[in-house]
Amino acid sequence: MGEELKRIVGIAIPLIIICIISGAALTASYDLTKGRIEAVEQQRINESLSIIFPGASFTETDDYYSATVSGEEIGYAFIAEGKGYSGTIKTMVGMYKNGTISGVNIISQSETPGLGTRIAEPDFTNQFSGKRIEDVRLRGDGGVIDAITGATISSHAITDIVRERAEVVMNETR
Amino acid sequence: MKLDELTKGVFKQNPIFYLMLGLCPVLAVSTRVDNALGMGLCVFFVLVGSNVIISIFKHRIPSQVRIPCFIVVIASFVTIVDLLMHGYAPELHERLGIYLPLIVVNCIILGRAEAFASRKSVFHSFLDGVGMSIGFMLGIVGIAICREALSTGKIAIFDCTIVPTFTQSPSVMMTLPPGAFLTIGIIMALINYKNIRKEGR
Amino acid sequence: MENLLVIAVGAIFVNNFVLSRFLGLCPFFGVSRKTSGAIGMGLAVIIVMTCASAITWPIYTYLLSTFNIEFMEIVTFILVIATFVQLVEMVIRKYQPDLYGVLGIYLPLITTNCAVMGVALLNVEEGYSFIGSVVDGFSAGIGFTLALLLMSGIRERLEFANVPKSFQDLPIAFVSAALLALAFMAFSGMRL
Repeated sequence: MGEELKRIVGIAIPLIIICIISGAALTASYDLTKGRIEAVEQQRINESLSIIFPGASFTETDDYYSATVSGEEIGYAFIAEGKGYSGTIKTMVGMYKNGTISGVNIISQSETPGLGTRIAEPDFTNQFSGKRIEDVRLRGDGGVIDAITGATISSHAITDIVRERAEVVMNETR
Repeated sequence: MKLDELTKGVFKQNPIFYLMLGLCPVLAVSTRVDNALGMGLCVFFVLVGSNVIISIFKHRIPSQVRIPCFIVVIASFVTIVDLLMHGYAPELHERLGIYLPLIVVNCIILGRAEAFASRKSVFHSFLDGVGMSIGFMLGIVGIAICREALSTGKIAIFDCTIVPTFTQSPSVMMTLPPGAFLTIGIIMALINYKNIRKEGR
Repeated sequence: MENLLVIAVGAIFVNNFVLSRFLGLCPFFGVSRKTSGAIGMGLAVIIVMTCASAITWPIYTYLLSTFNIEFMEIVTFILVIATFVQLVEMVIRKYQPDLYGVLGIYLPLITTNCAVMGVALLNVEEGYSFIGSVVDGFSAGIGFTLALLLMSGIRERLEFANVPKSFQDLPIAFVSAALLALAFMAFSGMRL
């Protein structure tokens, strides 16, 4: 029994040591990169905010950012997330107080390159600006947004994501 | 002799076309040349790193638990690459998505650890890792060049155009899954064709 | 509560693991020469993927998220999966020698099958519940088996076809896979 135990311990200890070293190395690299990762993400959000409400300043609340220009609140910016064709689409949406979209900027997406990825291009996202929430649907569904040829699913997903989230924020702020 | 350890991975035992290893990321990520380059670099780092570490500790690892030990070492390297990419190349990190953590189950890496690094010296393992990852990179970038050129009609790496638009009617299918299978199938057939002709002579 | 049917149909057809996500390609080309081998491999993958989803979900939810160490995900998942596969192999060998005869040679291959690791990572990414994850794992396994069976059927017939010499075996298998993937693309039009 003693021999057997010794054998098992002899096998197990190197594995345990490797696991401990690996855990330590990972924690160290996590701590090193953590600040950087958060900064990059914050920077990305700030960029999006300044695209959809140029020149405004923002105060963060629980659920959305309130955009003010010279002391007066003009609208809200919020992040909308949902499932696209392949993976999650995350987008920043700006909305004026009267329920018109001021702008849409895609933060991250992993759609098919060359097809679905075109939802992130200004040609597509600019269509949202100045549209009322209820009109943010594809033309085939009674809305005013033109789908991207060959990427109907991605186009459909992004309009749904934007509209549904905008409706929620509209009700909250009313 | 030493040069041989380096070059065998590039040509004679190219991991993609001859050993048929690590196909999943090759097909999934080769939609664009810059994605392929990014994936190639990640594999380079993980393969060279784990090859070196494993060959350093090869005598201290009991053979009964060698596979779990290799896996922990490889997974640690993959996590480090993942964290670094997230911090310093967020866009690429986003595009590689799930295929970045999946390097851990890439058969090339565990295969090299088991077949090579656990037996040979540190320096040889290093050379083997470098050669194999260059071979991998050549394969994945080669496929990506074919697919990007045929699916978009041009080649651009990080928004910098390498080959200007040469056709106005590219085939979108090449960026989708069928295009991936077709490209690699045809490339392998071409390699076979070349080998058959060589033998015939 | 997510719709389980949507998850199942999505994993089997729309985002078929092999033909649309490119996961598990090594066994897909490695053991698709004969239909009998494909069935054994498929069964083993279904079992392991379902159980791996069931095991990794509580580990991620109750261990990694609770202690804010999500970055240990890769190391933990691969170790758990590798250990689990070994365990299954030992149990089956001891209590079900007949089944072991069918599955035995395929089980070790599964540890480095990216489909298993992939389903665990995807469950986390999609934020599925426990039931959702298990259904996703099971359906993804079914989808894998379906693709494997179709492929082995095609390859068995290809043996009798007059394939150009340089296309023999693997190249023609890839071209067939391309056509199969093209057929599966039809499902991507489904709006779930």
